[in-house]
Amino acid sequence: MLPEQHNNRAWFAVLPVVFIVAFSGVVPLMTVVNYSVQDILDVNTRFFVGFDWYRDALRDERLHEAFLRQLMFSFTVLIVEVPLGILVARCISRSSRWTPFVLVLLAVPLLVPLNVVGTIWQIFARGDIGLLGAALNGLGIEFNYTQVPLHAWITLVLMDVWHWTSLVVLLAFAGLSAIPPVYYQAAALDGASRWQIFRHIELPHLRSVLLIAVLLRLMDSLMIYTEPLVLTGGGPGNTTTFLSQYLATMAVGQFDLGPAAAFSVIYFLVILLLCWLFHTMVVSREP
Amino acid sequence: MAAIELSGVSFRYPGSTGEAIENLSLNVDDKATHALLGASGAGKTTMLNLLSGLLLPTSGRILFGDRDVSAVPAAKRNVAQVFQFPVLYPRMNVLENLVFPLCNNGWKKLDAAARALEIAKELGIEIVLEANVSALTLFERQLVAIGRALVRPDVALVLLDEPLTSVQPELKWRLRRTLRKVQADLGVTMIYVTHDQTEALTFASAVSVMHGGHILQTGSPMEVHDHPEHEYVGFFIGSPGMNFVKAEVKRGAVRVNGTALASTDHAEGECTVGFRADWAMLAPDGLPVEITGFRPDAVQNGMPVGIASLKHDGNRLHVRAEGLIAPGPSHVQLKHHMLFREGRRVA
Amino acid sequence: MLALDAITLRAGDPPLNHVFTDAAITVVLGANRSGKTLLCRVIAGLTSPHSGELLLDDAPLASYLERPVALVTQSFVNYPAWTVADNIASPLTARGVARSVRDTKARDIARKLGLEALLHRYPHELSGGQQQRVAIGRALAKGARVLVLDEPLVNLDYKLREALREELRGLLVAEGLTVIYTTTDPVDAFAMAHDVVLMEDHGFVQSGAPLDVYRQPKSFTAAALMSEPTVNALSDGKTVGAIRPEHVRLTRPGDGAVKELQLLVEEVETNGTHTFIHGLVGRDGWIVKVEGMVRAEIDRPLQVWVREADILRFESH
Repeated sequence: MLPEQHNNRAWFAVLPVVFIVAFSGVVPLMTVVNYSVQDILDVNTRFFVGFDWYRDALRDERLHEAFLRQLMFSFTVLIVEVPLGILVARCISRSSRWTPFVLVLLAVPLLVPLNVVGTIWQIFARGDIGLLGAALNGLGIEFNYTQVPLHAWITLVLMDVWHWTSLVVLLAFAGLSAIPPVYYQAAALDGASRWQIFRHIELPHLRSVLLIAVLLRLMDSLMIYTEPLVLTGGGPGNTTTFLSQYLATMAVGQFDLGPAAAFSVIYFLVILLLCWLFHTMVVSREP
Repeated sequence: MAAIELSGVSFRYPGSTGEAIENLSLNVDDKATHALLGASGAGKTTMLNLLSGLLLPTSGRILFGDRDVSAVPAAKRNVAQVFQFPVLYPRMNVLENLVFPLCNNGWKKLDAAARALEIAKELGIEIVLEANVSALTLFERQLVAIGRALVRPDVALVLLDEPLTSVQPELKWRLRRTLRKVQADLGVTMIYVTHDQTEALTFASAVSVMHGGHILQTGSPMEVHDHPEHEYVGFFIGSPGMNFVKAEVKRGAVRVNGTALASTDHAEGECTVGFRADWAMLAPDGLPVEITGFRPDAVQNGMPVGIASLKHDGNRLHVRAEGLIAPGPSHVQLKHHMLFREGRRVA
Repeated sequence: MLALDAITLRAGDPPLNHVFTDAAITVVLGANRSGKTLLCRVIAGLTSPHSGELLLDDAPLASYLERPVALVTQSFVNYPAWTVADNIASPLTARGVARSVRDTKARDIARKLGLEALLHRYPHELSGGQQQRVAIGRALAKGARVLVLDEPLVNLDYKLREALREELRGLLVAEGLTVIYTTTDPVDAFAMAHDVVLMEDHGFVQSGAPLDVYRQPKSFTAAALMSEPTVNALSDGKTVGAIRPEHVRLTRPGDGAVKELQLLVEEVETNGTHTFIHGLVGRDGWIVKVEGMVRAEIDRPLQVWVREADILRFESH
């Protein structure tokens, strides 16, 4: 804001943060980068291989498939969660004395640990005893998410929607609450329809808050791991194996540390790139 | 003919114990500018919402011309409103904002654009028609908001809710002038709500002073200033407001603690004497007071003139005075006064 | 005694030198963005000056362990979860003063500010005027020698401002504090100030008793700042004249040399007590202030007179 006198001792105050960031982010990442250019046979035997692992990873068919699956999944949940979240937020009264209670209730799914979410839905969707699966089967619809890829996908998307839509709802609700009531009064006097109010008043005012919601959901969904692992284990076949799970199989299951590290770096860069693209193309264009 | 007529209108907010507006009647002339003036909490906002139809009265009737609109909701009343800050549709340009109310009322695009252009010319904003509203200054934005309120030719009433609040102080009078000009040109009825006496007295041909959900007095700016019917009106209008001192009428004179201040032929008994700062002067004898301060507002012919702050019996009084006024005991004499009983003017 | 010793607020700003009169109210008068708030922050110690020093009794203010300066800002800042009593006593709480002492002190201050009946209320239950009184009470409780008030009444309704201004003056004078009060309104200066300091572009333009500054402004800027509404300009090439709105007359004054001018009326404003006629003289915007409610036809020329003796002349640059 204003030029102020510099006190060089202030730098010491920043040091703890520098250490924390270094140890939590930079150092582990550099370790991975280091691994990604070596062939590691055992703890004492390793060779420098340059960018070989990267080349391999980029040519890996299964990786390409996992990548496409990942994009499709992220895209699907965004398409469902954002409009649904806005819709729900608009249905919550802003002035009722029940409003805080409703908001807390909505936030409950956000508090459930990831593997518990997976377990809940694994049971919920089971064809024999699960409430959802058994009900569908009772209605005569053959539902089996362990055998039918489409069913597995539907279950996964439903689970993610159940888990994360509340986040969009809470953000959208905050955004809606910030719109001054006079806008609604003006619209009422202008004879604007409910849709016009949404289109011309609510949506423009929600814009920045929705961008944050989309960014958060995009990053999170790109990194999804625990829930599909618990729910489907990546199956049937590989049809629900997303990037992170593929990576884990490689690194932990097969102990291919070098390729796994190269892949991790690519994965990291892809997420960074997508978020950066989103940010520069949409968020920073805000007037 | 009265364009707007309220008779016996009351309103109570759900869940509250008292009436926000109580048994209020008001006539606003066709094509007139009428101001509702009062402090915050006087019921101005409730009145606005009753007129626009955002609230419906719990009892009483509201007439627009011959049409009873008491139960008609906002969208069907042909009322437009200008708010404290420019309320515009943020992602539209100026033209789109202007035609919006017309298109919602079944106008054809081309006719609506022609009408919008006409209004824009009237307000002097025709050169920014293509601009997005976020690119405009606050002043221009408020002009657009006024344009949106005036664009419908069938508008029965335009409500103005302190429309100059967000405009820079030195530009306020320009916006107000524009408002008055378009009002005269288009012949619309306007009701202007404000807590600022200058706004009310300057803008409107008639002023209603509101307090506690009632209208205390309606009259021309001159009337409400010169002949307040109520103590509160005298206090609220004028800068500083009218002074009031507890007094009694006895043996043909207004007396305060026995001191005769002025002669009167009014009936004997307790009353309040009211006088404006320039109806009184400091003098060697009269009402005893303590001078606590002096605020010059000009120097005329080498002599400071201004308002002396006085204390009488713990009451603060203001009297116009000349010269260098030092703190200390003094007296006040009245050149002119008014008498009030139970808040109402009796003489 | 508080003194500014060659203080510059930002790089490139002119140095500010001033000695504030002890136990008196100094009103710092300037337009928005003239540097008033920054000056307040510097005195309060929230911002360091770019250069120069603040002295209290010839000792640098920075050397005091607890800065003996309290600040009240234009927005009503109080602790929302604390009662009025706790808010007022908060500077004492921070020092670890015992509860009973705090309560007595808070009640004392509340009485002076007319807040006694509200001691157990919370800030959100109060009106704007009351909230600002609580903020002032908190500043008084700090027991500082210097009280800085940064446009404390600007967010209040007009009528309330009128009343609170007078009340505040009485209170501050009685407390014997060195008060620095910033405002954009010359009326505040006339109503409250022992001394007035005019400020423009982060520099001081002139200082002195309000009437002296009004009578003998050193520059056109000074004349304009100490005028409500602002002065009218009359240029004749070599010099520029400043004419106060209250010195433009609608009838020909009898005494001395006069100038006759044509004013094209644009708008007539009134608050009942005074009427302000806005218009054009040549191409300059003018304002005329006359007593009472006066009518004038809009878009018509109006004959006005100015006494030569009332024209303040300055060299034009």
